[in-house]
Amino acid sequence: MPSGWWLRKRHYFLYVVREFTALPMALWLLWLLWDIKSAGAGASGFQPPRGIGFVAFSAVCLAFAMYHSYTFLKLAGVIIHLKVFDKPVPPGVIVFTMFGLWAVASIVIMALLIGLGR
Amino acid sequence: MSTQTRRKPAYGHLFWWFMFANGGGLTALLLPAHILVQGIFGPLGVVRVVDQHYDTWINVLGNPLVKLYILALIALSFFHFAHRLRYLLVDFGVHAAKSIPAQVIFYGGAVAVTLVTIFLLLTVAPISLG
Repeated sequence: MPSGWWLRKRHYFLYVVREFTALPMALWLLWLLWDIKSAGAGASGFQPPRGIGFVAFSAVCLAFAMYHSYTFLKLAGVIIHLKVFDKPVPPGVIVFTMFGLWAVASIVIMALLIGLGR
Repeated sequence: MSTQTRRKPAYGHLFWWFMFANGGGLTALLLPAHILVQGIFGPLGVVRVVDQHYDTWINVLGNPLVKLYILALIALSFFHFAHRLRYLLVDFGVHAAKSIPAQVIFYGGAVAVTLVTIFLLLTVAPISLG
């Protein structure tokens, strides 16, 4: 395959972007591990995540994470096959449910992360 | 005599696909909210966030349900990432990414991150139900 195949069609490029989302998300989760580790340093050694550089890094990771969520949840209609009362559930309903689940999960997580702060 | 041979179920394949699919789903549903709040809102001081203060962060990390949640989020996500990045290399013509050593590196990396996560969750904050 020629080296620049993924730049030849928009569809190929978006496929590669979708697969690449794994890297920034992995880096952000490694940072989360670091955040957990820093709590082990005790109150005096703990350094809360701050700084514009970290915010910029997170913003980039968020863009990739959102793209991963959008593409992955949209695929649910193709991957998941459900039957209710012996009738197949339309793919559109499955995708809508997954996006609804994403919204609910996000609200719950944000409420807990903010509500448990001080 | 029947010429049909009974095919053995590919349990290994099933396991990796299970980890890949569930990791992808879990990451899709949960990660953006974490990044938005812990990575942007908290550091900018837009809202109070649990990991901006030592006492609230260590208290939450002591909760066994939080430990299980973080373990599931990180472990499953990394198995998903390992699979995706390995196949991305294959798509870019790196055929060595199909090899057994490459699989050991990628999936072994996911196992290593999982073990580090377990270690940190068990050592950083003692389990507390309070």
